[in-house]
Amino acid sequence: MANEKGSKPLMTGYMLSTQLMEVDGCNRCQECMKWCPTFAVRPDRPGITPMYKNARWRELLAKNHSLRAKIFGGKPLNDDEMKVFTEDTYSCTTCGVCGTVCEAGIKTVELWEAMRPNLVARGDGPVGKQSFFPKLVKADRNPYQAKQDERLCWVPKDIKIPESGEIVYFAGCTAAYRQQALGVASVRILDKLGVPFAMLGKDEWCCASAMVRTGQREVMAEHAVHNVDALKDAGAKNVLFACAGCLRNAAVDWPLWYEGYIPYETMPLSVFLRERIRKGDVEYKIPLNYSVTYHDPCHNGRHLMHLKGKDWAFEASRDCITSIPGLKFRDMVRNRALQRCCGAGGGVKAGIPDLALDCAKARVKDCEEVQAEVMASTCPFCRRNIMDGRNDAKSSIKVLDVVELMAASMGLDTTIPENPYTKFQEQDVLVCTPTECKLDTVERKEPGKDLLPEAH
Amino acid sequence: MESQFYTLGLTFNLVIFLTVVVLAVWIYGIYFNFKKWGLGSTGYHDQLRNSFWLFLATWINEAFKDGLWVFLRTLVWDVLILRRTLARSPVRWIMHICMFYGFLALAALSGIGLMVDIVVHFNLLGLAESAELVKEYMALPFDLFGYLLLFGATIALSRRILIKFVRDNTSAYDALLIGAVFLITITGFYAEWMRGNAFLVGNAFENPIYAPHFSLIHTLLALGLFALILPWSKYIHIIATPMTLLANRGGE
Repeated sequence: MANEKGSKPLMTGYMLSTQLMEVDGCNRCQECMKWCPTFAVRPDRPGITPMYKNARWRELLAKNHSLRAKIFGGKPLNDDEMKVFTEDTYSCTTCGVCGTVCEAGIKTVELWEAMRPNLVARGDGPVGKQSFFPKLVKADRNPYQAKQDERLCWVPKDIKIPESGEIVYFAGCTAAYRQQALGVASVRILDKLGVPFAMLGKDEWCCASAMVRTGQREVMAEHAVHNVDALKDAGAKNVLFACAGCLRNAAVDWPLWYEGYIPYETMPLSVFLRERIRKGDVEYKIPLNYSVTYHDPCHNGRHLMHLKGKDWAFEASRDCITSIPGLKFRDMVRNRALQRCCGAGGGVKAGIPDLALDCAKARVKDCEEVQAEVMASTCPFCRRNIMDGRNDAKSSIKVLDVVELMAASMGLDTTIPENPYTKFQEQDVLVCTPTECKLDTVERKEPGKDLLPEAH
Repeated sequence: MESQFYTLGLTFNLVIFLTVVVLAVWIYGIYFNFKKWGLGSTGYHDQLRNSFWLFLATWINEAFKDGLWVFLRTLVWDVLILRRTLARSPVRWIMHICMFYGFLALAALSGIGLMVDIVVHFNLLGLAESAELVKEYMALPFDLFGYLLLFGATIALSRRILIKFVRDNTSAYDALLIGAVFLITITGFYAEWMRGNAFLVGNAFENPIYAPHFSLIHTLLALGLFALILPWSKYIHIIATPMTLLANRGGE
């Protein structure tokens, strides 16, 4: 088997020809190395940085596509070399900070995501538990082995949600099954504001972000087409996302797979809520006397800024946070387009969990440096990973979603109705009385169920 | 004047022949790289094409995706002014600007110089005398852009040597290529100084006997170390980086 694999040349099938050019466009300025969040916690492994990955790809490609190979014939790829290259390529969270600082203008996220399917096709990737993603998602349409019929089991009974409407809230698998506090806060706010929103229920399938990120594209097409069709059938004109991973996939990846016209706009929930705040619709009742910082999720920030602009990507969430009375906001040193990735992305949380954890601890340290009590974000995966980092580092910071802060300050009842997934809930929460709120942590009651950690 | 071309056993015609060979290898190298890049596809999850022409078509499609105005804006801001480098490091920007414009200008001047030499050598259209005059006028820009390249190359070499992080991540490959640029620049200057009456140093290094030999050594180094290996080494970024910036409309 090893010999068979070794005899296969490096494959280029998923790469655009301009991406192959980008690899040669790297001028080895080393700027990416200064910002790479995984290299920051693995300084003994420069091979995981973009500059070295590009160099390695060139070397491997040259074995069969150089002038020497043309004259004297190609060389088989060395299994050990391929193993190292695969590990290095998958030790990337696809956060994209390298692309932001790249002097050559290389679109690095797209480049790594194009390299990975070739490694999968060649039999080198994915790594660790990432190979479970397609199997689980294909079987259950979500990665948590949960029932699709129970997608809305967490919605408070007093909120009636139609299956169609011009505004659709796409909750995502994690808010539906593992971090229901986020889902409840989102629907509570929308309901309070009188927004006539719909949800897809069992027709909402996993966004398939993890598959794209890890180079396992085969399930992606099916899910992208299904979700777009379901949203079209629901009559959506505006689709709201409180999950950065789903948002990125819906805004960037689904259209690449969908051949028809997409009539709706994808929008972060924070952007939608900011509009309502500006209109004066949002009424806060309880001041939150906490110092809060904001962690820009890569998928909601850097990945979105090229499509929707920096205001949507970076400022909307901050505007929501700073609108909350009593709250003291402090940005971390690395913020917005140069923020430090939490470490969960790119399938790293599932594939190389210790690396994800170390990245999360670095982000927790960033938070502690500005003496914030709460790290707010708009990504359930960042939240999961940073909470793990926080626990490992024995830090006292709490990690909450922006909408949860807003819902608490608005005095909304964010109690999660009892449901089959209550026992899997594990998240920091704000428990509020009519006059004040208290930070708390909900511990998971039934461990060991998930095959995969929450990861995108 | 003609004696300059009969040195180290190389005749003028032989040098011209070598230059043509180098140019041919260079052009083939560029074609080879374009064909290699053509191993990719023309669109997301499209089939492989493996074609030189479809690479060009894909590149043109990507570069002009947002229209001519965006292409021109990217050309000016990102390719000619190196906006992205300036945003990250002013020192590296100065280094790149010096090397980029120094290299481009010297390459253009060398090309013109070669044409002028041919005119002088064969007295084409009886213009040998005028061509000699042109060569004299070219001396100053050659010097100025040479100093510009030298300044950039010195920064490049210095940061590779003096800054620990940069030094630690410098491979032998980087060192060889940057060293080669530095060597070519230095030998170019020394060749110029040996001719005498050079900018800034006057006749301090004048040596009319060895000047033609050294000049030829510089020419051979430039052709061999740089032009010949450009398409086959990291130097290809001189072509690939601007093309990447244009294809990605300035990058992320």
